[in-house]
Order: sequence, then C-alpha cells, then structure tokens
Amino acid sequence: MEALTEKNTNQTPSKPPKNMSPWAIARRKFVRNKLAMTSSVFLLIVMIASFLAPYITTVDISRVNLGQMSLPPSSEHWLGTDKSGRDVFVRLLYGGRVSLLVGLACTFLIVVFGTIVGSIAGYFGGVVDSVLMRFTDFILNFPFLVFVIVLNAILFGHLSGVWVLIVVISVLGWGGVARLVRSKILSEKENEYILAAISIGCRPSKVIIKHLLPNVLSTIIVQATILFATMIVAESGLSYLGFGVPTEVPSWGNMLSTSRDPDVMQNMPWTWIPPAIVLTLTILSINFIGEGIKDALNPKSYR
Amino acid sequence: MLKYTLRRILGMIPMLFLISVVVFTLALAMPGDPFSGEIDPNNTDPEYIEEMREKLGLNDPLHIQYARWISNFVQGDFGESTRYKMEVSDLIAERLPNTVLLGATSLVITYILAFAMGMYAGRKPYTLGDHFIGGFNYFGLAIPSYIAGVFAIYIFSFQLGWIPFQGSVDITVEKGTLEYWLSRLHHVITPAIVLGLLNIASYTQFLRNDIIENSRKDFVRTARAKGTPEGKIYNRHILRNSIIPLITFLGFDIVNLVNGAIITEAIFTYPGIGQLFLNSVMNQDYPVLMTLTMMFSFLVLVGNLIADILYGVVDPRIRLD
Repeated sequence: MEALTEKNTNQTPSKPPKNMSPWAIARRKFVRNKLAMTSSVFLLIVMIASFLAPYITTVDISRVNLGQMSLPPSSEHWLGTDKSGRDVFVRLLYGGRVSLLVGLACTFLIVVFGTIVGSIAGYFGGVVDSVLMRFTDFILNFPFLVFVIVLNAILFGHLSGVWVLIVVISVLGWGGVARLVRSKILSEKENEYILAAISIGCRPSKVIIKHLLPNVLSTIIVQATILFATMIVAESGLSYLGFGVPTEVPSWGNMLSTSRDPDVMQNMPWTWIPPAIVLTLTILSINFIGEGIKDALNPKSYR
Repeated sequence: MLKYTLRRILGMIPMLFLISVVVFTLALAMPGDPFSGEIDPNNTDPEYIEEMREKLGLNDPLHIQYARWISNFVQGDFGESTRYKMEVSDLIAERLPNTVLLGATSLVITYILAFAMGMYAGRKPYTLGDHFIGGFNYFGLAIPSYIAGVFAIYIFSFQLGWIPFQGSVDITVEKGTLEYWLSRLHHVITPAIVLGLLNIASYTQFLRNDIIENSRKDFVRTARAKGTPEGKIYNRHILRNSIIPLITFLGFDIVNLVNGAIITEAIFTYPGIGQLFLNSVMNQDYPVLMTLTMMFSFLVLVGNLIADILYGVVDPRIRLD
C-alpha cells in the first residue's frame, strides 16, 4: 500500500506540464501522420471541387453537343468529350458531387440509425435486445447487392433520383453498425460510472447520450470512415450495372458504365479512365484517413 | 456443438419463411404482373386477359397466391422463365456450373496467393518485399472490383490480346476435350482474380500480422532454443496457429462470392447465375428473379451459419449457446 502511494506521487511531476484532452492528443497524432494528412488534403480538394462544380464551370452538363462528339483531350476540353459531346472534365466534377453525396448521405443515415438501434438494444437488454437483434439479423441475412437491385427496380418507375438510391442502400445497410454499437455498449455499461449515473436518477436517454455514446464514439467514427468508402464503391458499382442513380445524372459509376460498350472501351479510354482513377484514389485516401483516425484514437499506439 | 448446429439449422426455417414473404411481396410490387408471363402479349382482348388471369389464379387472394407459390417452390417447381421459355430449374442448372467454376477458381487463387504473400511478408517484415506486398494490399483494398475488371479487359484483352473479354468458353472447341477445359480455364482466370482481389489483399494482411504476432510468443522462443530450423518454425509451428482464424473466413467467402459474382459476371459478360439475375431484373422475368433471390438469400444464410460454427470449432473458448 505504501509503495503504491509513493509510486503515484513520484509519477505526478514527470507528466507533461499541460494535461491534454484525449481529443487533443488524437488530433496531434493524426496531424503527424503524413499519409493520413496527404489523403485528407486530397479528399478535401476533391470534395471542394465537386461541390463547387456549378461555380467552377458554366457549361450545361445535360446538353448534347453533336458538333463535339468523341473528341480526344485537348486544351479546350481537358479530358476530351464523350459520345454525346459532353465535356468529360465537367462531368467528372458533377459526378463527384453525386457520388460523394450518396456516400456521405448513406454513411450518415446508416450510422445514425445503426447507433440508435444498437445503443437501445445494448442498454436495455432482455426482450428489447432480442427483438431488435433478431430484426438486425434478418436485415443482415439479405444479400445486400441483390436486394438493392430488386428494390431499386421496383421504385424506379415511381420515384426516381439520387435519394431513392440513398434510402434503399441505407435501409439495407445499417445492420453491421447496429451490431457493432450494441457489443460496445454491452461492455461499456458494466462500468461503475453508469451505475452511478443511473443511481442518481438519470433517465435512460441521458445515460445513453451523455455517458455511453461518448465512450463508444471512437469506434463509430472509425466505422463511419470505412462505411463512407464502402458506400461510394456501392453507389458506383450499382450505377455501373445500371441499377444506381438514373443514367442522365452524371456520377462516377455512370461515367464508368460507358466502358461496357467495347467500342468506347477500346477507342475512347479518356472517357472512363479519369473517373476510374479519381474513384480509386478517393477510396485509397479514405482508407488511409480511416487508418490514421484509428491509430490516433487508440491510446495504446505511440507514433 | 451438434446441438447448437441443429438448433441453428432449425432457426433458419423461420428466417427463410420471412425472406420468402419479402421476396413474394417485392415481386408483387414490381412493375407488371409477376405471373403474367403465360399470357400471350399479342392478344389484348380484355376478356381473354381476364380469363387467363382467372385461370392462372392471379385474381385469388394474396395469401392463396403465396401459398401456391411457396408450396410449388418447396417441391422444386420454380415455374417457367417468361423470357427463355424454359423451366427455371433447367435454366439455373445450365448456368450454375459456370458460376461454381468461377467461385471455386477464385477461392483457390485467393488462398494460394494470400498464403504465399502473407507467409513471405510475415517472415520478413519491414523488408523491401514486405513493403511491396503491403503496397499491393492497400491498392487491392481500395480498387473496386469493377474498375479492376475494366482495366484488366482494356490492358490484357484489348491491348495485349492475352485473354478473352467475354463468354465462358470458346465456341469452336469440342465439348469434353482437354482443349475445352483449357479454354474454360482461360476464360475464367481473369474474372476469378478480379473477384478475389479484395480477399487476397485482406487475407494477406491478416496472415502477415498474425504471423508477426505469433513469432514473438513463447512457443517460438522454445522452438528456437531447441534448435529447430527457422523454416520449420515458420512453416509448421507458427503457420498452424495462424491458419486457425483464417478458416473462419470461409463462411463469409460464400457471402462475398454471391455479391461479387453479380458484378464480375456483368463486367466479363460471363454466362453465370449473376448475369442471369441481372437479366431477369431487366426483363422482368419474375420466376427466375424470385428463384435466384431465394437462392442467394439461402446461400448467405448458409454462409453465416458456417462462419458461426467454424468460430466454435477452431476456438473452443467461444461458447456457442
């Protein structure tokens, strides 16, 4: 006992003079990670360029220009034009808008819904838990791609547009997050501070939001970055197959799907190589950022 | 263990029932009549259509329609394809071997490459070779399969002419000969690599990290102290421990193959069940669509079951109850 107290008092002065919050430590670790920082800058540039597309160019993207069909890259059209005479560079910017929007919106909806279901199931346990988890298992047992394609085919005639795809993907995609959050909440709620919070009369909603969620937030953030990449891949994969966003809306997947025409693939590589490269680099940078965040939030790693 | 397995298999029945209800509802909600393929589209006489609808039972209450569909389905009568005008079971039997070949080749390539690269990188971590493999892994994890597929076709098929870009076999070769099988292998190899790319990368990374972790454990020090050759330590002592977690991925492989086959077969216009599924959605070929959706769901259920059971088999500490 004595030795322990002595050890504690000895250790105090050796700590850094200013106590940093866990978030500040994480931020410092992340900023020092060169790969993650480069990726962040790249992703930021892609995002800003995409979302400001209407202000960067004034070209009408939907107009078919018969005079400028299938032109190779030149100083006038940086990346050439496609079979309908539309500028590939401009479409790339607008396509990024749609692809990133779908990715962000799906990630947001999935994380919010998955977290709500997972935290309620994990906190209350018992019957609530079994009912919610059976439902989650039910959703997880659907082959994701198959059902997104079928649902999209049903809704296609009635409702169209990007939001249909976002809702369909989100409805079928939240199971994994719910399971993850539940398992984290289950182990976290065994701690004494939760018992203390309940014993002083905190309502369940307050215990979950104020006490439990902040402690599982790091897991959720890491999961969200993985989801963001997965959802962008899902959107462009579906659009490539012709079951994603409507074909008249430019998205990276729709631009890639022009390569299904052997003539376009062989003779007009400038129309599909740029979206392929931008898409791959975006996914790569999101993966690096995710790894950087995971590393930064892990108190055991010293980098 | 046996009790758990049996209970899980029994637990699949209500899940399959729910999925069949969902599939039936979705088919009803799709544009057009799910069972109207029997009606001659050229005859627009309303009386004829009404008569046929009555005869086909489309005017019956929904639960009766469902009961009829599911009882036929369970007995193996999946109906007739409205597009190909043949029994769905025959149609699937014709396409399934292609997909099975694709999936099996993909699994074999995945495991061979993942083991070779993972064992090398795990044995010599932080060397040039390890960094090279690590770079490949980051790339493999980031590049979506359809982009890899498109580039593979562009480079190896159109520029170099090494591989065919569509089909499952050269139509000029005679069936059953060695040439026939070589041609099939030639057609399947690139789609199989593209299909397995993500798994190759993630399994390699997993095996590498596990080998590095295991090589610091006490049993390795003991083996070294006894004078066991380094090769034997890595290939026998460590590998045996590192394979265990990898085995549990087998169940998830089935799930991945179901999703991956649809995209890969579309890129390479490979005539398997993934392509059949996409065509059935596009042509509103409901009997095929419903059967394949049920089949894919069943495979995913089985895949998840295998994954859960293997967890228990390889790690007795996980209590399954």
